[in-house]
Amino acid sequence: MDFVILAIVMLALGIYGLLTNRQLLKVFISLELIATAATLNFVLLASNLNLGQALLILAFSTDTVLSGVILAVLVIVSKRYGTSDMGKIIKLMQEKNEPEVDTQ
Amino acid sequence: MIFEILAVGLLISVMLALFLDEVVYSVAALAGTFLFTALIYFIDGAIYGAIFQFAVGIGTLAVLFLSGEMLGDKPVKKTSPTRFGVLVGGGVLLSLPAIFISISGPAGIPSDLTLGDALWNVRGLDVVLQAIVVFTIALGIGIVLYQKNRKGRA
Repeated sequence: MDFVILAIVMLALGIYGLLTNRQLLKVFISLELIATAATLNFVLLASNLNLGQALLILAFSTDTVLSGVILAVLVIVSKRYGTSDMGKIIKLMQEKNEPEVDTQ
Repeated sequence: MIFEILAVGLLISVMLALFLDEVVYSVAALAGTFLFTALIYFIDGAIYGAIFQFAVGIGTLAVLFLSGEMLGDKPVKKTSPTRFGVLVGGGVLLSLPAIFISISGPAGIPSDLTLGDALWNVRGLDVVLQAIVVFTIALGIGIVLYQKNRKGRA
């Protein structure tokens, strides 16, 4: 039984989901899975379990902040364009002739 | 045996979370992923890791359920039982390499480092820096939202 392979498979599935899903929330779920796969290694590969747990707790803190920011952006984007489909959002952006990244 | 069951359950829930058509069901499957991950930590002896994973997972899921109801477009078609079965089978198949293949790595150095020591002595500077990063992000978002509000009023 090897959890490194489990984490690699989970990471690969997360990346695949990130690249193929068009729903904004599914993209967020993919990011969560990638983060979970990465943090799984902190505990399972640590030479010292307590050090691994300390790293895990720190990783959770950044992951939670990241989740909050991403969800806020998703809510703003989907409220603005009235859909959570990435294809439709990009189409609407092109129709409105807006730049994809608003630097204002 | 219990690790194998957890590995299979974890990958099935990952497959369902990623590929179910209904967003709310995907979030429910993600709950399973977090639960299985917490159980793996618990069985591996990382009690604090399991507690934190569980707590963070519950918080994320609460927000995701609300967002899923609020933002999720209604799916054109529901997930068919065949597709559901394929996803479960895929999860079982993907968990087979983790069960049967083993990679041997360098052995860890045993030490009597406690969690408190690890968190505050070894990673102390990191803890302070992460707090600064989190604070800076919050401050940046606050400034951006404040400026947007001012522009909206003007």
